[in-house]
Amino acid sequence: MDMIAGLIQTSILAGGVLALAALGETLSERAGVVNLGVEGLMALGAITGIAVVVATPHPMLGFVLALAVGFLVGCVFALGTVVVKANQVLCGLALTLMGTGMAATIGRAYSGMPAPATFAPIAIPYLSDIPLLGRAIFTQNILVYLIYIVLPVVLHYIMFRTRHGLNMRAVGENPAAADAAGISVQSIRFWYVAAGSALAAGAGAYLTLAFVPSWSEGVVAGRGWIAVSLVIFAGYRPLNAVLAALLFGLITSLGFVGQARNWPIAAPILSMLPYLGTIALIIVPVLAWQRMRRVMAAPAALGEPYFRDMR
Amino acid sequence: MIDLRNLSRRGFLNMGAAAGASLLLPKSGLITPAHAQTPLAAVAEENAVIAFGHTGPVTDEGWTWSHDQGMKAVQEAFPKLKTLFVESIPYSADATRTFRQFVSEGANMVFATSNYGDFLYDVAKRSPDVAFYECDGRNPLENLSTYYLAHWYPTYVTGVAAGLMSKSGKLGYVASFPVPSVFSGTNAFLMGARSVNPNATMQTIVINSWFDPQAATQAGTALIDNGADLLFGIMDEAGYLQVAEQRGAKAVMWNTDIRRYGPKAYVSSIAIDFKKFYVDQVRLRLEGKWTPSQTILPMGGGIDRDAWGETVPTEVAKQADAVRDKILGGWSPFEGEIKDTKGNVKVAAGHRMTEEELYNWDWSIEGVSGLQA
Repeated sequence: MDMIAGLIQTSILAGGVLALAALGETLSERAGVVNLGVEGLMALGAITGIAVVVATPHPMLGFVLALAVGFLVGCVFALGTVVVKANQVLCGLALTLMGTGMAATIGRAYSGMPAPATFAPIAIPYLSDIPLLGRAIFTQNILVYLIYIVLPVVLHYIMFRTRHGLNMRAVGENPAAADAAGISVQSIRFWYVAAGSALAAGAGAYLTLAFVPSWSEGVVAGRGWIAVSLVIFAGYRPLNAVLAALLFGLITSLGFVGQARNWPIAAPILSMLPYLGTIALIIVPVLAWQRMRRVMAAPAALGEPYFRDMR
Repeated sequence: MIDLRNLSRRGFLNMGAAAGASLLLPKSGLITPAHAQTPLAAVAEENAVIAFGHTGPVTDEGWTWSHDQGMKAVQEAFPKLKTLFVESIPYSADATRTFRQFVSEGANMVFATSNYGDFLYDVAKRSPDVAFYECDGRNPLENLSTYYLAHWYPTYVTGVAAGLMSKSGKLGYVASFPVPSVFSGTNAFLMGARSVNPNATMQTIVINSWFDPQAATQAGTALIDNGADLLFGIMDEAGYLQVAEQRGAKAVMWNTDIRRYGPKAYVSSIAIDFKKFYVDQVRLRLEGKWTPSQTILPMGGGIDRDAWGETVPTEVAKQADAVRDKILGGWSPFEGEIKDTKGNVKVAAGHRMTEEELYNWDWSIEGVSGLQA
C-alpha cells in the first residue's frame, strides 16, 4: 500500500513539470501559434530558478523570476512569429537551440550543485489525514496545488466561459473572421504566446526547485517536446492537459517502481517507458478518436501567420 | 600501492576474459602485458602539457570534482606546466575526438578519469609518445596505464555500519550500469551488512548514468517506497542523499564529504583522493622515468570511509572501525564460501578473492536483486 501511495505521490510530482509546460503550450496554440521553443524555455527557467536560490534562499522568488525570464523571451519569440510573421516552426526550433545552449553555458557554474532552498511539501490539514491516498495527494509543495488545481481551473474558465476566451479561441480558429469582428489578432496572439512562454519557463524552475532539485546540463531531458505532444493528446484543453501530464508522470515513475519491485522486464526497457509513452500518446488519438476528430481537432489556423491584406 | 605489474599470465587472461564478458568494455582478443620497457623521454616542466578528460562536470562535488582537485594539486606542485581539461565527455566518438584534440594540443599526459575503453585505446595506440591513463580501465598498452581504487574495503566497512543501522534490513542501491564497480560495490556492502545482520537484502535500481540527479532522485524515492531504509549507490552527486533526508532514511555516499545536503541522513562516504597519485605520476613523466602501470590505490592510500555522520551511534562507528582496522591489518572479508544469486558456489570455501577478482567482479551475491550482468 505504501508502494501505491508512494507511486501516486511521485507521479503527481513528476507530472507537474509536464502539466505546467503543457498549460503554457495550450495557451499559445489556442491563439494559433505553435511554440516549439518549450524545451529551450524550460532550460532557461531551470537555470534561472537555481541561480536565484543560490543567491537568495527564496524559491518563490526563483520561480517568479523564471516566469519573468520566460515572459521576456516569449515576447521576443512573439515579435518574430506574430509581429514579423516569420515561420513559427523555425523560430521555435531556434528558441530551443538558443535556450538549451544558453542555459548550459550559464549553468556550468551550477552544475551538480543541489538547490540550497526548495519548495517544501505542505500538508493540507484534514485532507492529508485521509487514509491511504490522503498523504500522497495532499502533502505536496505549493506549486503542485497551483499547477493541478488553481491554474487549469482558472484557464479553463477564461478560455471556455468568458467572452475574452471566445475571442482568443476565435483568433486561433479563424483570425480573419475575428479580425472582421473587431478583435485585435496581433495583440491577442502576442500576449498569449508570451504568457505561455512564461509558464514553460516556470516548468523549468519547478524542475530545479521542486522536483530534482539541482541543475545539470540536459536536466530538461526532452520534457519540452513531451509537453508539446501532450497538448495534442489533450485536445488543446487545459483540464485534459493536466490529466495527461499526470498519466505521463505515472508512466515515468513506473519505470523506477518496476525495478524496485523486480518486475521481470529489463531495466533498459523500463527506462524507455516515457518515450514509448510519448509515441503512444501521439498515435492513440489518431486511431481511437476518429469519431471525436472535430472535438479534439487543432485550432484551424494553428501555425499560420495572419496577414490582414492577404485574405 | 598494490602493483599489478607483476601479475601472472593467468591473472592477465582472467582480466581479459572479464573485460570481454562485460557489456560496456571493449572486446579485444589480445592484451599486451605491460612489461619493462624504456621509459618515455623526460619533459621540461615549462613545456609539459597535462590533460584531463572527465565524465561529469567539475562542480559535481563528487567524482569529477575529486579528480579536478588532483589536477589542482599537480598545478601546485609543478606551477610551470600547462593543464587542460574537458568536462562531461560522452561515451561516444566525441570522446575519441576530445582525446585526439588533447594530443594535437601537445599533451604529454592524458588522464581519462572514467573508463572510455576503445574511445581512448584507439587514440593511445596512435600516439606512442604520450602517456595515457584510464581510470577503471582494463586494456593496458605500452603507453596506456590503468588506475583505480580498492573501494570494496571501505564499502564493506560502511556496509557493517549499514547492517547495524538499518531497521528493516532492506538496503537500496542506486546503480549506474551493470559494470564491475557496481557489482563489487553492491556485493561488498551487502556482505558487510550481512556480517552483522544475516537477513539483510539489497535491492538495486539501474539508472544508466553516473550523473543524473533527476533519475537518482526518483530511484531513491522508489527504493524507499519499497521498504528500504538505508540507501547506497555510486552516483557522482547528492541526489539520493536529499531523498533520504526528506524521508527520514539513511544514506551512504561516494566520493566526497557532502553531509551538508542531508546531515541527518548522512552515514559516511566512500571518500576518494587522487592528489598524491596524480602528482607522483606527473613527476615520473617529467623526470623521464615513466613506464606503464596498473595501479589499484588501497584503503588508506587514496580511498577510505569518510568521518561518520552525526546520527551514527558511537557503538556502530566503533564496531565498523574495528573491522576497518582488521582489514588494514591484512584481513580480507572476501573469502569463500560465496554464492551467487542462483545459489551456485562461485568462491570456494577457504579461497580468498584476489585483487583482480575483486576488480573484475561481475556477478551478484545472494541477497542482491535487480542487477544482471
